[in-house]
This record gives sequence, structure tokens and C-alpha cells, in this order.
Amino acid sequence: MRVKVNDRELELAPGTSVIDAVFAAGYDVPYFCSQAYMSPIGACRMCLARIGAPRKDRDGNWLVDDATGEPKVFFFPTMMATCTTVVMEGMVVDTLSKEVKDAQRGMVEFTLINHPLDCPVCDKGGACELQDRAYEYGTGRSRFVFDKRHQEKHHPLSELITLDRERCIHCKRCVRYFEEVPGDEVLDFIERGGHTYIGTLEEGLPSNFTGNITDICPVGALLDATSRFRGRNWEYDHTFTTSLDDASGSAIVIDARTGRIERIKSGINPEVNKSWIDDGIRFGHEYAGDPERLRRPLLRRGDAFEEASWDEAAAFISERLGGLSGKDVGIAIRADATLEEGVAARALAELIGTGQVDHAPRHGPSLVPVHGATLQDLATATAVIVLGDVTEELPALDLRIKDALKGVSPPPLFAHGVPIADLRLKERMPRARERLTVVAPYRVGLMQHAGRPVVVPVGGEAAWLQAMTDVANGTDPDEGALGMGRAEAQGLVRQWREASKAVMVVGGFVLASAKATDAAAALAKAVGASQLLVPPMANGRGLEITQVLPSHARYDYRGMLAGSAKALLLSGLDPARDPATAARLGACELLVVHDLFLTDTAKLAHVVLPGKSGYEKDGTTVSLEGRFLPVRAAPVDNGEAEDLTGVVKVLGEAFGKRLEGRSVRSARRVLRKELGFDPAELDRLGLLHDLPRRRSGVSVGPRQEATGAALRVPTMVRPEYLARNPRLRAALGDLALRLHPADAAGHDLHDGDEVRVPVDGAPWRLRIVLSEAVPRGVCLVPATPDAPVGRAHVALEQVVHERRALEVA
Amino acid sequence: MSTSRGHELPTVTPFFADKQDLLARILSRYPDYGRRSAVMPLLWEVQRAERHVSRARVDEIAEILGLHATEVKGVMSFYSTYHEHPVGAYHLQVCRTLSCSLAGADELAAFLEEELDLVNGETDAEGRFSLQFVECLGSCGTAPVLQVNDSYFERVSRSRCRALLDAMRRDALPAPTVERGGDNEVVRVEGADRSATGEAGEGDRA
Amino acid sequence: MTDAVTEAPKPITSRSDPRFEVTLYAHVGAPGSHTLAYYRAHGGYDAARKALGMTPAEVVDEVKASGLRGRGGAGFPTGVKWSFMPPVDGRQRFLVCNADESEPGSFKDRYLLEDDPHQLIEGMLIGGWAIQATLGVVYVRGEYHHAHERLRVALDEARAEGILGTGVLGSDFDFDLILHRGAGAYICGEETSLMNSFEGLRATPRLKPPFPAQAGVYGLPSTINNVESFCAAVHIVARGAAWHAAMGTDDSKGMKLYQVSGPVRRPGVYEMPMGARFRELIFDLAGGPSERAKAIIPGGSSTPMLPWSDATLDLPMDYGTMAKHNSMLGTGGVIVIPEQKCIVDAIYNLVRFYGHESCGKCTPCREGVATWLPKMYRKLLAGQGTRDDLAVMEDMVKNMRGTAFCPLADACAMPVQASFRHFRHEYEHLADTGTSRYPRRREWAE
Ligand SMILES: Cc1cc2nc3c(=O)[nH]c(=O)nc-3n(C[C@H](O)[C@H](O)[C@H](O)COP(=O)(O)O)c2cc1C
Ligand code: SF4
Ligand code: FES
Repeated sequence: MRVKVNDRELELAPGTSVIDAVFAAGYDVPYFCSQAYMSPIGACRMCLARIGAPRKDRDGNWLVDDATGEPKVFFFPTMMATCTTVVMEGMVVDTLSKEVKDAQRGMVEFTLINHPLDCPVCDKGGACELQDRAYEYGTGRSRFVFDKRHQEKHHPLSELITLDRERCIHCKRCVRYFEEVPGDEVLDFIERGGHTYIGTLEEGLPSNFTGNITDICPVGALLDATSRFRGRNWEYDHTFTTSLDDASGSAIVIDARTGRIERIKSGINPEVNKSWIDDGIRFGHEYAGDPERLRRPLLRRGDAFEEASWDEAAAFISERLGGLSGKDVGIAIRADATLEEGVAARALAELIGTGQVDHAPRHGPSLVPVHGATLQDLATATAVIVLGDVTEELPALDLRIKDALKGVSPPPLFAHGVPIADLRLKERMPRARERLTVVAPYRVGLMQHAGRPVVVPVGGEAAWLQAMTDVANGTDPDEGALGMGRAEAQGLVRQWREASKAVMVVGGFVLASAKATDAAAALAKAVGASQLLVPPMANGRGLEITQVLPSHARYDYRGMLAGSAKALLLSGLDPARDPATAARLGACELLVVHDLFLTDTAKLAHVVLPGKSGYEKDGTTVSLEGRFLPVRAAPVDNGEAEDLTGVVKVLGEAFGKRLEGRSVRSARRVLRKELGFDPAELDRLGLLHDLPRRRSGVSVGPRQEATGAALRVPTMVRPEYLARNPRLRAALGDLALRLHPADAAGHDLHDGDEVRVPVDGAPWRLRIVLSEAVPRGVCLVPATPDAPVGRAHVALEQVVHERRALEVA
Repeated sequence: MSTSRGHELPTVTPFFADKQDLLARILSRYPDYGRRSAVMPLLWEVQRAERHVSRARVDEIAEILGLHATEVKGVMSFYSTYHEHPVGAYHLQVCRTLSCSLAGADELAAFLEEELDLVNGETDAEGRFSLQFVECLGSCGTAPVLQVNDSYFERVSRSRCRALLDAMRRDALPAPTVERGGDNEVVRVEGADRSATGEAGEGDRA
Repeated sequence: MTDAVTEAPKPITSRSDPRFEVTLYAHVGAPGSHTLAYYRAHGGYDAARKALGMTPAEVVDEVKASGLRGRGGAGFPTGVKWSFMPPVDGRQRFLVCNADESEPGSFKDRYLLEDDPHQLIEGMLIGGWAIQATLGVVYVRGEYHHAHERLRVALDEARAEGILGTGVLGSDFDFDLILHRGAGAYICGEETSLMNSFEGLRATPRLKPPFPAQAGVYGLPSTINNVESFCAAVHIVARGAAWHAAMGTDDSKGMKLYQVSGPVRRPGVYEMPMGARFRELIFDLAGGPSERAKAIIPGGSSTPMLPWSDATLDLPMDYGTMAKHNSMLGTGGVIVIPEQKCIVDAIYNLVRFYGHESCGKCTPCREGVATWLPKMYRKLLAGQGTRDDLAVMEDMVKNMRGTAFCPLADACAMPVQASFRHFRHEYEHLADTGTSRYPRRREWAE
């Protein structure tokens, strides 16, 4: 379509909105209500322009201007909102004439009459769309002489979000967001006309994705309550990086000021998280600024710790190690370490001469699927099979699945990014629920959107997958395991097979079992689905493909803890909750713990080294889809904290060696060779790079699959830090033990009780949540890095009541 | 982890508990995919029976229709005839829009404010009378109009208004008379001056 | 009649034309007129039977040929609208009746609903057949309780007699109606807001396109018409397009329900041929003004007023003429404004109305119509306005014109602009002196 914007002609695809045409032509037009990724609604009326188009006569010939011989342009009688108008062949758009400017000035004036103009005390000041647009397109003077609308100014929508109703300009972005993106309609306009305000009756905004509304609010009406009044926008140092909270590879922006992280906002990666992050990622950062963080190395002197220099600590370690056989040393790092840290761990193991090196948590099976899918595949799939509770496990998947249900393919990119107004998106678009099948051992949130929810018995995934595979292959299935009639199962299988694109998302419940994982792969193969396997932590896939793995299954993390290692270096791991493990750790000849806090495990250590949080590292991570993404350090005051490359540097020096992996740069030299590209050159979009499946021949699965009627379930928040994230904790409550009300009655448990209860022998303090979504006879407890998703044993008969919830009549 | 942070429902008997037939009848009016359409009829049922729609009823309707309470509230608050707080047994609504205003609606409104000692939007202490000024009721030809609950009383003159108030105070509100202007009451007036500048006659409306 | 070959008969444009016959309102007010028995006794449902004997396309063509234009205000040709429906493709199709009548000065639909509900049902049956919709929706404004009850009973009667339901009137066409009650919001009269309201959503207007024919009720193909439009269709089918087209002017055909309110001797609804003159309506039918008048609002409160003059009184009330005189025919709800009424106060009354009814979706209407403009009027009427304020008002109203999402803001802006056009002196007097030239007076009848 040829379109002329002011003096510039350009060729655009049919379906493009006029506002994108204006931007594509290099002109500007103000707007508030439009938001890339959400339906254009034309409510703010800011983006008005004069628009004309040629017309055809009855016979299909262009009506021609007699004077010029060119097709005659007919202008619409009124100004048009460019965000909701589609380009037409020969269209002429005027954004510069006095008429247009007058109209835009008028709209700015209307928008401002009830706005409090309290920019000096507003967190959005300096990064406010209204401020900018009023400055560029307004008159700078108000003719409104009356009292402005007075409304609530500090209304807590939840613990995490504060609403200033006076500042709201009714763009409806937030309301549309909840309906269109997560599909949790927990916010709406109340009243009408000049009295309209946004509000909720849903206490605490029950959704995993509430914080995004603070990013998209064009004014300071919706604010991140955790960062309120912490700084002005121009004071923040913005770090564009990748979240290490889960394996989604979500882009985030860390805003830090004077060495502290004040807030996290969503970054933009159109192929990964678009511009959305979950509340765990957004609000779960307070722990990084916790005053109890370790700032210097600690050395044990008798029963107490003393601060020491890194050199002293390194000297101590190298001396102790000198007295040990290298192969007795175990090195285990948490699975959200960067690739560079992984290289460092490998180099250290090599120096020491041990095959006992591993990352944890780690499921037995490989995280590299035979037929891998990308997140874009998922978002455009016509059949989606979800195994597990992705809304908690990897919430970004939840949103991409909802994209798939809307059936709108990713938009074309312009020089100015994704379209500002994608006219294919509509308000209240129907979602094709029948495309989605969700299988889990309890009723998970996503089942609400699924055409076919299937609740399987705990540990019953393998049998269900096997039975469905039998159906797909035309062999006799175990009908009891199907959970539905055979005909229905056949219908489902047919639907998956006939789908133009089928994607299977495999969560931790399945990956915890090698048998179930194989069964999932078999079903995927039988119906032609590609797979996304959900790593238990951010860089599980990366650490697997870069071989941060033991030389023998015996030497995996569990093996080390069970006694194969006499000396242990643990980075970010805290296995001491289990009393038996704690006893063994106490008996180690050398225990070095590298972590942020003096954890239970650190308390047993000989040396404690201060570590960096995922916000403070430079490096590379690999997401679940195999995307290599850059991790960048925000300027955080963390004392002498080092990541693993720093640890390896000083240890190497103590041994008189300059190890590969002693710095991010040196680790990257190694990676460049192994990967075939330079991770230093990754841009924000990252790089989808296929590496072969795990090369090591070692079988590294758990030797014995766990049993037990309880389940460790994934949580959106990082449970190990919940206590140090006070806002998030206030919003979401303490870690929960969820069970069916009928089961609770048998143990005298009430909703809200706080209890102490052994989970696999380790004591846990949990809050009782009664829920009909949990099947009878099952308990759900949170998974942690040291006790990952999977089956467990909860000794309900040993419950100790700590605090009784107030009984509500 | 559970992120559903439910609130405590006050223990009240559900409105539709003993009205399952009615509920089924209302729901059956709309196609399956249009279940949400029942939100207004359900609000009406509650409003009519309880003279307002309380928070508990909003929750109940949301539950029935599979919506969030917020959505029900968003809809309910959009309209001017669903009330959050109970209105009186006699909910007096005075139209003050132009045609009624030209027929004296502003004075009618002032009269009611005075007589009932209520201002717009108030309900008296006994819960007998509520006064609400509303916009055009579609009674312009038989103005001014006073709507009492669901009934229109039209061509309400001062004396008629007094009589109506007295009747309501005695709980003896008469049935509204059907008022029809125009074609139903045509009396052709012959020979009148029909020019724009001509003298207008005495008002003989009503 | 002998010269018919050479000379086409003169169109009927006056109610006093002997060929004119009251049709739509023939039974309104008659005792028992709302019952099926009465309706049947007066030829009820014969037209529907006739329509069912025609092909749907023939019915559409008949309505097209009749020249009927929508009576809800916008005046869009009804037959043309019906022909916009996409080809039948197995999806549910809806026919919607807009019975939300809320435009100040309009009250014609109410009496049709109360006294002749079967006429509407029959009209919708014909429309349903024409567009091949098997489901219809009647959206009645919440305040019309009596009308709602009458319709409810009429629908039950019709279902019981096989007039609605499966195989209506013995044909193999299925058709039923869903009666839905509003709850007090003028914007529900706007067709897409009405659909949102019906679906249980907040009643804000939707983006167009897609138009209702592509995606209306529940996103399915739908056609929406006004009550009077459907009733007219009954008689068009019964008597033929030519009969209908014989009434009216070039661009406006048929009979129309005009309404008169304000200080006239006999306000009310009068059925007249299109193109009849204000003079006939106001004097011959309504008995003339009961006091000296100064302006006429020709078609419901949103239509720009015309000064009271002989020239105005002689204008034919049709779409084209009103447009030519910078106004609109709208719903045909004429409001006479007496000389003794302060024009600023009268217009404020309407501004207040539109402000109250703004849905709040778009900025110019929420902030202009619902907030700023009424405040300016109150300031002026309180004697605190200035000439500068008048300039601000005019500029603000200009910014509201053609910039809002739906026509409601225009509906407010147009009468304001017209009042400035014709009665600027009253505004100026008020701004200059702080008092109205026409101070408030007693209007309420004893
Ligand atoms: C703000 C607004 C209010 C309206 N109110 C009504 C109304 O109350 N009744 C009505 O029939 N049409 C009303 N309309 C017109 C309808 O949108 C629509 O044009 C009409 O119902 C179509 O029917 P028709 O073609 O038979 O006239 C309104 C339009 C607008 C913009
Ligand atoms: S003009 Fe805007 S605010 Fe007013 S009713 Fe229409 S959409 Fe709503
Ligand atoms: S109307 Fe808001 S961006 Fe176009």
C-alpha cells in the first residue's frame, strides 16, 4: 500500500495502522491508550490526524482530480484516530497542519484538566508519557479554572501496587492488560463518565502478573509500591539484562541508585517475554539489598567466624586442599550460575583433579529435547500440551500459551519496533481453549483456560503419557490411566496430530522421572509435537550443554552430599536443612560455601565466601528454548562479593595457577571455542543456537525415583529468598502447605494455621492453605533449589502447631 | 504456591439458593456462549427484591456466571438504577431534562426536597422515601414525570404531587393512570392564529 | 387517476392529504390493543405470513424499494443495512431491536411497546426472515418497566401460539426473541454499546469496523434497528413498497412518528408523512404553542436548534432539508423552546444530560462533555462568567466536535454550537450583566 505521510511516501503492508505509518515515515504523533501487544481502542483521542484517501467510482476507476490528473484525495470529514485507522492505497496523512495541531492541543488540554500535575512528587516524573506529550503538544497553559476531580491518592491496589486515582487518564491500558494478557480480569473501570475510576474487588489482585501494569501506565497512577519514593527516574542507573529467576530468559531492566536495586521493570524482548514479566521476577529483588548480606569472606575460628581477606581465605582453602586427594573434593554450583561461572567451576575441578563437579538442582534427563520448540513456536502453536503447573514454574510460558490461544502470529517489526497499534488485536478476543490441554496432578491455574484439563494421580504422568502414546500408535492403552474415554483420547490425539503446529511443554513433575520424560518424548514423537523442557533453574540447559557435570553418576550432587566427597565447595546451595545431610557436612574436612547469606549450610562451613546475586553478574545464560542471552551487572554495592569466576581467580592464584575462567573474559575465550560464537557479542535479543544433546556418556539421573504422596511444587517466587523479600511475602503470604479441606480435618488443620512439619525428614515451617484444587490424600509443598520439584513424603502425623489462624465464624 | 488471595465472605444465605428455577429460567434465555448476558437480569432480581445490590450479592452473581466480582461491579456501577445502598420503599425519581424542566420539573424537584427533607440521592431514616433526580424518562409529552419505583406518574401538577405523597404516606399509592398525548387526544383547534408572530394562547396543557 | 400515465401522483407530505392514513399508531391507546387477540382481529401477523411466502431477498428488496430509513436517529436506509449481512454460513445470526429510546424529546417507541407490542414482534419476524436470523434481541431501556412487562406477556402469547419458536406460523423458519432490560444509561442506545450491554459488559461503544453485520452480538453477524423501523416494515410488506414510497420527499419516504414537547397545547406523538411541515405538526396537531416560542429543536435534544420563524415553520421535516439547514431530523422529537426560557439555562440542561450520560471511554467527552463544559455553564449561570469564558466555551466545544470516539460528544456539542449561532446575545447578556435576560419563572402547573 502506498501511503503518503506529510511529505514522505512509503510502501506498507495492508493492515498496518496509520499510527505505525506515521512513525515508519519518521514523524511523531502523540498517543496514550495504544500499547504495543495490546488491542488498539482509540480512547484517548490523542493521535488524531487528518486523513484522506482516493475513491473509486462505480466501475472501479479512481476518481481523478481534473486539475492534476491524479486520483483525487477525499479527506474524512472529521479528524481520525490514527491508532484505529487502517492504511489504504493512496492514503494521505497530515500530522503537521494547524488543524491537526489544534486538535492535539485540545486533547492535551482535556487530558490535563483533571490531572493533578504533581510531577515534583510523582515517581513517574521524568519518565512520564503525559509529561512528555504535554510538553511537546500542549500549550503549557490551562484554561480550566475549577477545582480538579479529587480522588484517592494512595490507594493500595495490593501490597505491590499503589494507585493514585487523580493521576489516571483513563487510557484503559491496565484494564485491557489484565483481560488480554494474563486473562485474569481483576481490575476494571467502576462508575461511568466523569466519575469513572479503576478499581478492584479482588483483594490483593490475584494474578501472577500484576506488576506489568506499572510499566505500561503512561502516567504515575499505577506505581510499584516497593520502589515508591525511592528515587527520581533520572537518578536511576538502568541495566538491561536477563532475569536469572527462571529459565525464561526474560529481559529485565534493573534500576539501581547509589548501589541499591530500587526496582525491576520488564525489558523488551519480542521473541521471549515481549514486555511482560511475572511478579516473582519483578518484585523478588529485595533480598539483594538485605543488610545481612555477606560482604567479606569469613573464616571459622573455633565456633565463630572471623572476617578475612580473600587472600587469607584462599590461602586457607589451598592449604587444606593440599592435604586431600583431589578426587575427594566435590564442587557443586547452583543451576542459575552463568556459563562463565560454569567454565570457572570446570577449570577449578580440573586443577584439583576431581570428577566430582555438578550443578543443582538438576533433573536426571537431559534438558535438550530431540525436537525443540521456541517460545515463538509456542505462541503460534495450534495445539499445546502442558505437563505441569507452568504458571508457577515458568510463568512466561503461561503468557505465551495465552498468545497461542488468541491465534495472532507475532507482528511484523518496524524500524520503530513492534507495531504501536496492531489492528489484528481486538478487545475481548475469543481464546481458542480447545487448543490447550493441561495435565497435572492437581488443578492448576492454567486449567481454567484449557479445553481439556486432566488431573492425573501423583506420579501418574508416565502412565498417562504411555496410555496416550498407545492411543496415538493404535495399540491398546491402559484405559484406567487415560482419565477419559478412549474415544475422547482418540479425538485429542487426532487434534494434536492434525494441528499445523503442536508444542508440548514438559514441566518438573515429568522431568523428575526419567520414565515419564521418555514417555513424554514418545508421545510428542507419536503426534508430531516439538518440546519445551522446563529447567528447574535459570541456566540448567546452559550448564548441561557446557558440561558442568560429574564424570560419573556416582559423583553427582547427591552423591557428593551422601559421602563421596570429603571436601566440598558449594556455591549458592543450602542442603543443610536435612538433618542427616547437615551431620555429614559437619564432618567434612573442608566445607567452603559461596553464597549471599550465612545460610544453615554456611554456618557449618570452614570458609564462607560472599557471592553475587543474579543482578550483579556479567555473563551468559541459556534459556529453556536454547537461547543464549547476556547477563549484565547492575551497579550494586555488595562489598567484596565475587561470582564464581572471582572465586576461581583467587583460588588459582593461591595455587600459583592462572586458570581459564578466572574472569568473565577468560571464560568467554573458552566458550567462544566451544560454542563457535562470542558470547560477548550477544545483543538483547540473544541468539538461538542449537548445540548437540549432552555429549557425556554418563547417566546422571537420580538413581532411585522418589516416592511419597506429597509433591514439591514449583512456585513463582524463589522460596529461599521469600523471607528477605518483605513486600512479596506480605503480598503472597508465607510458603504454603496446600491440601484438601477434607484431609485437613483429619489432622485438625485450619486455613491459615502455621505449622512445623517434616518434609522428607527435614523440618519445614509452612502456612496451611486449604484448597479444593488439591486432590484428596495429596499435600503440596514448595520446591526449593535444594529440594526440587517432584514427589516427597510429608509426615502430616508429625505436624506441630505454631500459630492457630483466628477462627472465622 | 497459592497466589489466590481470597477474602472472607460474610455468611449470608445466597439470594438464589431458593430460587433455582428463576435462575435457570434467566440463564436459559441466553445461548451457552452468552452466559455473561445474565449479569443484568440477575442484578435486577436482587435490586428489586432487596432494593440494592450488596457486596455479597455481587460475589454471588460473579460466582454463578464464572466472573470476577470486579467485572460484575464494573457493570453494575455503570448504570444508574442498580444501587449499592438500599433505596427507600418509595424510590421517587424526578426527570429534570429539558422537556420536563419546561413543564416545571425543577420546581417539582425542589418541592419534593422540601416536603421530604431529602436532597438528591438521599433516603430517609425510616427507609420509606428516597429521592433521586434522573435524566429523561421518555415522558416528554406528558411532562413532568415522577417515577415511583417502576411506575410512571405523568403530568404531575403540584396538587397531584401532593396527593401522591399523601397516598404514599398512607401506603395507598394508586395505580398509575395511562397518559397518552398526541394522536390519542387530538382535538383539532380551528381558526387559531398559525403564524410565528401570532399571539400564543393561554396554556391549557394537562 | 385517469392521467396517471402522464403524471406521477404528487407525493403525500401532509397529514391532511386524504390519502394519508395513520398506520403505525392506528391502535395505540385503544383498549386491549396490546393483546394478541386484538392484534389478530386487526390483521395481525398477516404481513409476516406474506413475508414468509417471499424469499428473504425479496423482502429486503421490498424494504429497499420502500425508501425506509432508520427511525433511530441516523436515518440509514433500512433495506440497505439488511443487505449488509454476510452470506449464511451456519453461524448464529442476530436481529436486534433498539428499544432504548433515551434521547430527550423522544417518546414514540414507548407507546408502541406498551400498546402495540405485537406490531414490533411481527416487524422483527419479518426482519429476522429477511436477514435469516433465528434469534432476536429486544433491548428495552430499564425505566420502561411497563413496556417491558407488556412485551414479556406478548412474547409469551406469541410463543404459545406458534408465532415464535420453531417453525413460526407453520413455516419451517425458526425464530425467537430474547427480551433484555437495560438499567439506565443513555449510551446503550448507541448500537455497539447496546451490544456490549447485552453481553454483560460495560456499555461503552465498540470500535467500528467491524460493523455489526460482520461482528455484532457475541461477535456474530447482527443487524440492529429501531422499534419504529421494524413497525414500518410490517406495513411495507403488507401494502407494498410503492405505498410507502408514495409518502414523503425525495430522500425521505413513508410515515414517521413525530413528537412534540415543550409549551404546546397538546404535546404528544403524531404520525405524519415524511416531509410534513413544522407548522402542521405544531399548530394543526399540537394546537400551537401555549406561550410565545423562540426556537425549535427539531429531532431530539442532540439536533441543532432552529430559530422560531415562519421560514422555519414552513420547512418540511425530512432528512435532507434538516441537513441543509445545519440540523438533523434525528428521532423527530420536536421540542419547542419558549421565549421566556433562558437559552443558556435550556442548553445547560442538555449539557448536564450528556455529561451525566457520557460513558467515560474517551477523553474529549469524559473531560469536556462530562466535566468542563457543565462547569463553565454553571459558572455563567451563577453570574460569574465573562466574555472570555464564552470564547473558551466555544473553543472547547470545537475541540469536542469530530474528535470523540462516538457521536455522543457531538450530540452535546451540536446544540451548544447552534445556541451560540442563534442566541449569542443571550450568552453575552449573561456574561456582561451576570443575570439572564429571561430569569427563571414559574412553570409548574398547580
Ligand atoms: C449516543 C447515541 C444514542 C442513541 N440512542 C438511540 C436510541 O435510544 N434508540 C435508537 O433507536 N437509536 C439510538 N441511536 C442510534 C443507534 O445507534 C442506531 O443507529 C439505530 O438504533 C439503528 O436503527 P435504525 O437504523 O432503525 O435507526 C443512538 C445513537 C447514538 C450515537
Ligand atoms: S463520546 Fe466517548 S466518552 Fe462519550 S459516550 Fe462516546 S465513547 Fe463514551
Ligand atoms: S486514541 Fe489513544 S492512541 Fe489513538
